Amino acid sequence: MTTLAALEKGYDFPPVSFDLGDEWVDAYVASVEDEATGALDGAFVPPMAVAALAIRALLEHASLPPGTLHAGQELGFTAPVRRGEALTVAARIASRGERAGWALMGVELAVARGGEAVMTGRATISFPLAEAAAA
Amino acid sequence: MTQQSMSLAAGAALPKVTKTITQEKINAYSLAGGDGNPLHTDPAFAAGTQFGGTIAHGMLVLAYVSEVLTAAFGEDWLASGRLKVRFRAPARPGDTLTASGTVKRIESGKTICEVECRNEGDEVLVSGEAEVSR
Repeated sequence: MTTLAALEKGYDFPPVSFDLGDEWVDAYVASVEDEATGALDGAFVPPMAVAALAIRALLEHASLPPGTLHAGQELGFTAPVRRGEALTVAARIASRGERAGWALMGVELAVARGGEAVMTGRATISFPLAEAAAA
Repeated sequence: MTQQSMSLAAGAALPKVTKTITQEKINAYSLAGGDGNPLHTDPAFAAGTQFGGTIAHGMLVLAYVSEVLTAAFGEDWLASGRLKVRFRAPARPGDTLTASGTVKRIESGKTICEVECRNEGDEVLVSGEAEVSR
């Protein structure tokens, strides 16, 4: 599998579909110990779970280079998401630069349910170029 | 306003969320999030990095901030939340983290909050701004 280090600015990831199945949602909720979303009526999924699963879907296409750091994150939620729903994530490398041996990359995400947007986001990550080249 | 959204004025503190990070929790998040970065799960690899040991995923720490906002704004957060943060320092196994927020201002139907997450040493690990329409 390729890593994000091999991708240039403007690269569009192939759209990836994923399901918010109970098993995965339960594992996510347990890992972050979220108690607030479960207190709401409606079988809602924590919004950060949508972001996490969208990123997971992308990482099945291109893995993180060793030593990758998460420098910043922007997220926008436009509709609640429930367990069992099927979503699609589209993503692109929105920016890429290099400084002092590190790459700085911006990855834009857009998650939709059918034709309805439910989440947008932008992750800013950095990774050491030497370790990425050796991987 | 939708279910369980609190009535909050400028200056109000949002409900705090406190969690203790463990390597087991980091490993569980790695499995759920599909993030195989050894910086989080491989002590030998992580020992050779600038951090000297494993650190938690930024998205794991950010989930605590989102829990604060869900507790404060309920379904409004899920339907209209916006969040912009910087990760300023790592969370390590053994750290006890407290995520919190304060209403900064209310304008045009939007509530804008400062949010952050600190460790037990009062070091800011994550800081930024959240916005929710109500």
